[in-house]
Amino acid sequence: MELLNLSIRELNKLFVNKKAKPSELYSEIFDRSASSEAALHAHLSLFEEINLEKAKNSDERFSNSENVGLLDGIPLAIKDNINIKNEKTTCSSKMLSNFISPYNATVISKLDTEQAIYTGKTNLDEFAMGSSTENSAFGLTRNPWNTDYVPGGSSGGSAASVASRSSIAALGSDTGGSIRQPASFCGLVGFKPTYGTVSRYGLVAFASSLDQIGPISKSVDDARIIYSSISGHDSLDSTSINDEQIDLPFDKNATIGIVKELMEDGISEESKKEVDKVIDILKQKEYNIKEVSLPLIKLSISIYYLIAPAECSANLARFDGVRYGLRVDGKTSYEMMENTRAEGFGDEVKRRILLGTYALSAGYYDEYYGKALRARKKMVDEFSSIFKECDYLISPTTPTEAFKAGEKTSNPLEMYMSDLCTIPANLAGLPAISIPTGLSSNNLPLGVQIMSKPLTDNSLLNFSEMLEKELDFNRTPEGWSK
Amino acid sequence: MSEKFDISNIAKLASVSLSDDEKQKLSSDLSVILEHVQALSNLELDTNIKNVYIHPLEKELVLDEDIEKPSLTHDEALSNAPKASDGKFIVPPSLE
Repeated sequence: MELLNLSIRELNKLFVNKKAKPSELYSEIFDRSASSEAALHAHLSLFEEINLEKAKNSDERFSNSENVGLLDGIPLAIKDNINIKNEKTTCSSKMLSNFISPYNATVISKLDTEQAIYTGKTNLDEFAMGSSTENSAFGLTRNPWNTDYVPGGSSGGSAASVASRSSIAALGSDTGGSIRQPASFCGLVGFKPTYGTVSRYGLVAFASSLDQIGPISKSVDDARIIYSSISGHDSLDSTSINDEQIDLPFDKNATIGIVKELMEDGISEESKKEVDKVIDILKQKEYNIKEVSLPLIKLSISIYYLIAPAECSANLARFDGVRYGLRVDGKTSYEMMENTRAEGFGDEVKRRILLGTYALSAGYYDEYYGKALRARKKMVDEFSSIFKECDYLISPTTPTEAFKAGEKTSNPLEMYMSDLCTIPANLAGLPAISIPTGLSSNNLPLGVQIMSKPLTDNSLLNFSEMLEKELDFNRTPEGWSK
Repeated sequence: MSEKFDISNIAKLASVSLSDDEKQKLSSDLSVILEHVQALSNLELDTNIKNVYIHPLEKELVLDEDIEKPSLTHDEALSNAPKASDGKFIVPPSLE
């Protein structure tokens, strides 16, 4: 039976009706993930024994009609910056190549309660800093649609895993687009929830005011099921919130804004056409559509590349060779720390730590970090004002289709620009989703991004599901469909 | 905004030793990035805002009550230490 292409709800129905077993699915998934490694390198570790055992326990529960819910027995891949107790968490860094987590991230504890199964840990740009998964210390991941191209980043391993049907869905983390951009490059759904609705406890911190965990999946419904499982207030995360969701209309009473600044220079014609395709669908369905302007979006890369490195330089100060991770000896503690960090961090991580250290240093704090925080506040106000007129904002997810491996590695700023459309939602804490819309002339996936105001995650998912049905993008990359 | 910076001093502040080649490459990269963020210098911003929130939803950070709860054991906390002895992390001397 073709289990790998099915949705979570379809698989659950088969398990409940005893037409398939979680252990059969796990064996298929494990074979696929192991065999895809040579071509894609989506995973840094694959779990076999423990999880086959877990899958057999799921078999029992379904056999006794005692299953605990939709995720029981569903194999998920986990980005390797999220802690699973007694497993390695490397963050794709030499710094943590031997780190074994002594505790579970809150999202993992929640998925454990639902009896989900983990296929393995997925590759990422080192400490989630990058847009192509080329910054991994353990080798790059390739795009299942065409292995000459990158899968996006930083959650490129999670996206390649789901696209190659090596897992049913995956968790990623999104600081400036790291869930949505790889989802778009790999023809998948990627959802970054409202900041604070999913606990960051046990996610190795990159930029704490921007990081958010979310799902990468084949469908909006799969993303919804995972979001519903991992969200909720957590006292272990001081930024976690306990607010009720706000309902927005998602039928033709909703007003849709097309973001002018994300349909201008720097955005490819093909990416714009995907937005036009969505506009045509919405017009046919009699939605209210208007062009809206958010001028500060043009400055979002500048704001982001002061705030994110500043937070990163503070967060990564913990890697000092004392309590965990790599140690390179030195005559004094200070020399040991300098040597450890020189050897343990890759080029992009060093670049961002130095940039952040500079932006926070005496004499420059107000000029850089302080100014970026105020600009961010102004951008939040700009979004709030637009959300008084519009329920959902639509833009391309990425300025272009996936780029070739090696194409942007020598030019950091050019690489940063590939997150132009996704960064604003992180700065403003908004929920934002990428859904696949079609293929480019190079046969590579393209997607559109939909954003809405904070705490409207459920409505955003409902609206996106309506569009998903109309778009009917139901493609698997060649070679991975069976 | 200032464009000049001393890469050796920043590396010292960040506790990262850099080779001469790295210093040259990173100086050049940082110059390009700092030039790009200059775009913010022309932006008119309200400098009278007293509280600029770190939380994008402008929420206060909530700290846990200071109550003892089960946590990592001593052994678990030391389980990833590069060097430990007698239940303590071992580090080189602070002074030569």
